[in-house]
Amino acid sequence: MGLTEEPVISIEGLWMNYSDRMVLRGIDLKVYRGQIIGYIGPNGAGKSTTVKIMLGLVEGYNGTIRIFGRDISDGDTAYKKRIGYVPEVAELYDSLTAREYLTFTGELYGLKQADADDKARKLMGLLGMEKAYDMRIASYSKGMKQKVLLIASMLHDPDILFLDEPLSGLDANSVMVVKEIFATLAARGKTIFYSSHIMDVVERISSRIILLDGGDIVADGTFTQLREQSREGSLEEIFNQLTGFDQYRDIASEFVAVIGEGAGHE
Amino acid sequence: MNEFLILKLLDRIQWIFKGLGADYALMRRILQVKLTMDGRRTPTLFSGSQNSKLEMEGSPFRVQWLYLLLGLMLIAMVAPRDHHMLMMSLLFSIVMFLITTTLISDFSTVMLDLRDKNILFSKPVDRRTLNMAKSLHILIYLLTLTLTFTGPSLLFSLFRHGPGFFFVYAAEILLMDGFILVFTALIYLLILRFFDGEKLKDIINYVQIVLSVAVTVGAQLVSRMFNLSELGLDFTPAWWHFLLAPVWFGAPFELLGGGTGSRSVVILTALSVVVPAVMFAAYIRLMPVFERSLQKLAEHGAEGRDSGRLARVLSETVCRNKAEAMFFRFTWSMMKNEREFKLRVYPTIGFSLIFPFIFIFNQVWSGDLAGIRSSKSFLFIYYSALLLMTVVQMVRYSASYKGAWIYQVIPLPGKGLVYRGMLKAAVVKLLVPLFLLEAAVFTALLGSWIIADMAVVLLALLLYAVICFLTFPKALPFSEKYEAAQRKEFTGSAFVQLFILGGLAGVHYVFTLIPAGIYIYMVILVAANAWIWRRAFLPDTSRDNGFPTLRAGG
Repeated sequence: MGLTEEPVISIEGLWMNYSDRMVLRGIDLKVYRGQIIGYIGPNGAGKSTTVKIMLGLVEGYNGTIRIFGRDISDGDTAYKKRIGYVPEVAELYDSLTAREYLTFTGELYGLKQADADDKARKLMGLLGMEKAYDMRIASYSKGMKQKVLLIASMLHDPDILFLDEPLSGLDANSVMVVKEIFATLAARGKTIFYSSHIMDVVERISSRIILLDGGDIVADGTFTQLREQSREGSLEEIFNQLTGFDQYRDIASEFVAVIGEGAGHE
Repeated sequence: MNEFLILKLLDRIQWIFKGLGADYALMRRILQVKLTMDGRRTPTLFSGSQNSKLEMEGSPFRVQWLYLLLGLMLIAMVAPRDHHMLMMSLLFSIVMFLITTTLISDFSTVMLDLRDKNILFSKPVDRRTLNMAKSLHILIYLLTLTLTFTGPSLLFSLFRHGPGFFFVYAAEILLMDGFILVFTALIYLLILRFFDGEKLKDIINYVQIVLSVAVTVGAQLVSRMFNLSELGLDFTPAWWHFLLAPVWFGAPFELLGGGTGSRSVVILTALSVVVPAVMFAAYIRLMPVFERSLQKLAEHGAEGRDSGRLARVLSETVCRNKAEAMFFRFTWSMMKNEREFKLRVYPTIGFSLIFPFIFIFNQVWSGDLAGIRSSKSFLFIYYSALLLMTVVQMVRYSASYKGAWIYQVIPLPGKGLVYRGMLKAAVVKLLVPLFLLEAAVFTALLGSWIIADMAVVLLALLLYAVICFLTFPKALPFSEKYEAAQRKEFTGSAFVQLFILGGLAGVHYVFTLIPAGIYIYMVILVAANAWIWRRAFLPDTSRDNGFPTLRAGG
């Protein structure tokens, strides 16, 4: 530990533009083992793009990204074996059953079919879904689908987890379980890269918070550090202040006014 | 999950895929999952649980009886003991036409699929393996289709001409399928490389139209290259024969049978092997580039701003009811933007554009221009209704079919208005422009005396639009997920529709025999249209099926 430790993820000068706009403007970032990074920012700040670039889903960036010390642009996809990913939208093959989907993803990550099946069944049971294991995912509720995605991301015991809004749709009890899982994994040296809009969750579980705005990192540190910096009480307020947003009341009242406009119903 | 027979067959030749640099175990697993999913039906919001059949697992390889039946006719081309060159070229032009058109209309979405990438490429799967799984997935379907179609003639050839012919025929079929797949993929790759953003999406659709026209014309040319009128059925090579792929595939049989190994036949035979091989090699090398370029399709470029003025004006012109006009505009903008819809429908625009003229050109070719001008050949314009069949069938599908919950939560006076708005939008946006273009060309070719007939055809097509709508199972616009398995159930309906279309052209012909009959028919059609466009869309039709649905079994 300490100064000599190699970063698990190291991003240097990451620039990315889509055809019409800049999404990321020179991000520099080093992430170490055991960190839970809360990656926050307004809609369209470039959070998902950063994660997708690290997964190789988006290309055409400028800069260097090293994961496990290896440049990911060299075309070798082996580093993905040690990564788990929960995408923002629940994209999965929902005409499969959970058993089929989970063993399939397990195998893609290099597990044996029987092992993946066995592990997946246990994990499904622990999240209270043993009965749904052989049902089509299409028939699941949003929270159940989210649980399947969470299991799929952790089945192969990855060293890094990229989680995009991982708690969406989960009930309060499941949220507690999942948060505890994250904390335990981090304590065992796993790295969790977590983006969310729910500020009080981020505030509570992150060991380090990175705030992205307009493609730049505008804050980076523990929650206590951020609070000292900006002299605000909650992360939500810090967020508002750092992103220069203070007219929520005006906008809300104007919004309601527009709703009431016009002749109303026919 | 099923162990498909095809996967076991692949296991036998896995060294090929390993040699090509793919991770065979992963590729096999991806294919297995894909084939399993193809056999399953996604229940739509509206089917609910009323139909227990939905949960059933079908095989994605159900035999298509129609193709088998059509395939029986190919036997006639394999039967003769000589003129192999002619017969097999003709046969391959038919088969290639069928397979290519199926590929560009049904499998373009699979080829250009992006959803897969997020699910599969975030895992340690390399591009080559992913793309190879995708190509094989398509190729498996193409081969199933080709074998259904050519199966009867293939079997027949074994008994008629012996194993030599049989094996050459089988090998050529394999080569041909590979050629078609790779050729289409390379064309898409070319477009993906050179264009960006919104323009790219439009160009893909134009290319589909051009491809379908080219395939149709190409198939016609093959039958033109032989001097059919002369007794000899001679083949005299000309430079442009070397451009026609079906001729390459026909050439080996000439070598095999006649033994008249003229130089051009040998060259053509060589082409049938070399061109697919070279293209295949190029494709394998370019696979990663293809996967990477696909990303461009996901980019949301600067949206072209469209205030929807045209749609608004049109909707108010053709719809009297407000809700109907609303669904007219909805369908209009969905048809404009839905990628999957366009990928599946635009090839048909190509056919509808070219088919009416093919027959006219056939007559021009035989040098009977004067004959055409006075004949009833304008009736060929009824072929443009092919577009209607496809559109009415396809308008129910969408990639974002889950958005259909909106129909359930908004206060609708009845689905009739939705259907009518939808159908009107489809007719006004796609059929009318196409028809006007064709009618203009026909009038220019044949003379202004056909104008009244053209008006009658338009009226008949409007009537036909409703008939198409009634013969297909009803579905709200853009509310279902496209599934190949389900599509087959429409073959029956499509057959019925073709007969009705023929009937309409026939009735038209009969009326042209009566003096001033065309005007009488026009009046009848106006009345029929007024009746059916009202009667078919009564608000309550959807609930208790007050209107008889002419549904044919699949």
